[in-house]
Amino acid sequence: MRPLVRWAVMSCFILAFAGDVNGRSVPISHEYGRVIIRNFSDQAGMAPVWFDHWLHRARYTCRLCHVDIGFAMEANATKIKADTNTKGFYCGACHNGTRVYGRKEIFPSCSLSSTPEESARCNRCHSVGKNVQKEYDYASFTEKLPKQNLSDLVDWEAAEATGLIRPIDFLPGVSIQRPPLNVQKDFSIASKGFWMPDIIFSHKKHALWNGCELCHPDIFPSVKKGTAKYSMLEISSEQYCGLCHDHVAFPLTDCQKCHSKPVRR
Amino acid sequence: MKMFAMITAILVAGEWLFMSMPVAQSDVFHLSKTAQAQESWRREFEDICSKTQDAMGFSTEELRGLVVRCDALKPLIEKLDEPQRKVTLRRLQMCRDIYAFVLETKENK
Repeated sequence: MRPLVRWAVMSCFILAFAGDVNGRSVPISHEYGRVIIRNFSDQAGMAPVWFDHWLHRARYTCRLCHVDIGFAMEANATKIKADTNTKGFYCGACHNGTRVYGRKEIFPSCSLSSTPEESARCNRCHSVGKNVQKEYDYASFTEKLPKQNLSDLVDWEAAEATGLIRPIDFLPGVSIQRPPLNVQKDFSIASKGFWMPDIIFSHKKHALWNGCELCHPDIFPSVKKGTAKYSMLEISSEQYCGLCHDHVAFPLTDCQKCHSKPVRR
Repeated sequence: MKMFAMITAILVAGEWLFMSMPVAQSDVFHLSKTAQAQESWRREFEDICSKTQDAMGFSTEELRGLVVRCDALKPLIEKLDEPQRKVTLRRLQMCRDIYAFVLETKENK
């Protein structure tokens, strides 16, 4: 009987909060993960940069960009400048006019000259507030990709498992050759509410995209079982899991994706 | 024979010219030294940071050694020009942090 009560309470909880968790609405899929970068744009007389995270994460692993290339995990914390891009760092690590994705050349990023041709190229990224026709739009790009429960957000894990995306994890000249990853075991985390199943944390799912150093010790400073007491309040305040989930990874409204341990009868 | 004498004369003149330009020579020497230094920090950096995903399998001694190597490399990275300095320092710090973190976890077990 008890498992039944648990599931009933959990379902009510999901229904009650499905539209809003901690003041957040269910995310709008094409805006999910979008970053507006405006550290130096205003000073330079440019429009801020519109960065579509979904497009990049479909093609590259988290580790490639956030460890190898060095983008911070927080919006606007990297302090990217046109000068650094032209020298081949940050966006310029790939957007340098010579790298290719598939068979297509990746367009070069910033230019220090200001010809009309160059300025059209600037607008590809510096597009906030401008009527710029994007090369990729969310709806057509994700049309064939599997979606999350009850939403139009992409289920990236399923997309990779089915071979629809193959994120690249090595960038010649930037990444370091690493041996294959020895994945740590999955483990469970006890849920605080009796109505919620316990969490099964999959190291495999996370480490394959992130490596080790992206999460430890910055985001998760302790691995000793029981040392850290994660609460949904902290998570929804962008700590721990909440740094990615609810921003770029599946949102917190998808409770059962984490609280997935089968309930013992 | 005439041709041989001419080539020899050109080579000798070239060498003399090269030797008589101390500034240029020191530049060449400096450039090659810089390239060597560049090569050496990169090799050490890549060797240290290529092992992060094996961290859990290392002994505490090995982990301590890697942390020491990170600390020894840091001053060299700090001398690099921007933005290479900023990017590499962050990456090195991430490597150091994961080794120190695993070391601490193992020592507290």
